[in-house]
Amino acid sequence: MFFDFHIHGNIELVKEAERLGYSGVALVNGDHNNHKSPGRDRNHHSSEFNNHHPPEGYKNHPPEPGIGVGPPEIQILNGVEIHPKNSQDLKRKLQKFRKKADVLMVHGGDLKINRAACEDPRVDILCHPYRARRDSGVNHVLAKKAAENRVAVEFNLKYLFKTRFSHRYRVLSQFRDILKLQRKFKFPLIITSGAHSIYDLRSPFDVMALTRCFGMNKEEAYTALYETPRQIIEKNRLKGRIIAEGVVLVE
Amino acid sequence: MKLKILPPHLRNKKRYLAFEVISQKPLTREDVIYLIWEAAAGLYGACGTSNFDLWVVKIWNCDVPHKNVLKGMLRCNRAEIDAVRAIIPNITRFKGGKVVSHTLGISGTIKSSTKKFIKLKE
Repeated sequence: MFFDFHIHGNIELVKEAERLGYSGVALVNGDHNNHKSPGRDRNHHSSEFNNHHPPEGYKNHPPEPGIGVGPPEIQILNGVEIHPKNSQDLKRKLQKFRKKADVLMVHGGDLKINRAACEDPRVDILCHPYRARRDSGVNHVLAKKAAENRVAVEFNLKYLFKTRFSHRYRVLSQFRDILKLQRKFKFPLIITSGAHSIYDLRSPFDVMALTRCFGMNKEEAYTALYETPRQIIEKNRLKGRIIAEGVVLVE
Repeated sequence: MKLKILPPHLRNKKRYLAFEVISQKPLTREDVIYLIWEAAAGLYGACGTSNFDLWVVKIWNCDVPHKNVLKGMLRCNRAEIDAVRAIIPNITRFKGGKVVSHTLGISGTIKSSTKKFIKLKE
């Protein structure tokens, strides 16, 4: 059971992800081209998926039931990645997209935006806080806030694979820095592919093997690929029924 | 004169890793071997790669319509299998075309690896 929460793409990518062994993906739309409701887009994908005949392997090995029970064997979530200009813009966009999105991501990289995202419990994932930076973009202050508000910090493998060999050391050391903070402050970590095509997807066990290179052990890798996404799904399922922290409306 | 082969308990223990390579442009056997060595050297350097006893055993050309798919088998040291597995996702591009590689499985013998993971059509 593994999840990939950052896929830009179409049904072909979802099918490939399923073949590789993912049980759930989040198809991410940017906020800049959001004339139509992202929710509608998700239904479009699902219906397209239902009409498609399952690949032959299915008959012999039906997938195990689990979280993603439903007509498409792979769970498709609707993600929105917002690109805020500043922290006020972030708040405005959060208000606009929070209800429509299953997974809400913030395009990080800028320090002020990283900080604002970590301080807001409505944010699910802070994407690549290390983007276009020399440092990791997360310090102890942000780490504490992220742990308080359960904002997951993303390791986007796109940045590892798409940079040149001579610059990969920087990405690896940024991952290492974030991991060091994570071990102390216990904020959630998530590993995603950031895939735009089938050539960017990697199978989950290969990713687990790769995480050794920046010092993650097997349990941590499993948490980042499975537990954290599951918690995000769970949190958003309860969305709207939480009265106060720790109090949930049951019926 | 040929060297006498080592007794079994002194030999290096081996594992066979089956993988597939999907690429935009058609690849040859030499290209795949080059890609693997380059990815290994890029990730671990010469010093690290020397521990793995890497060897590409065989490459199969698969007939998949509209796709260039190759399947292959790597031999490596049993103790280093996790590190070797991390090399496979590091194959990203070749001569301007995108390439992706996935591990199909790990096995102790060539025979079972071919049977279980490569699954050639007879």
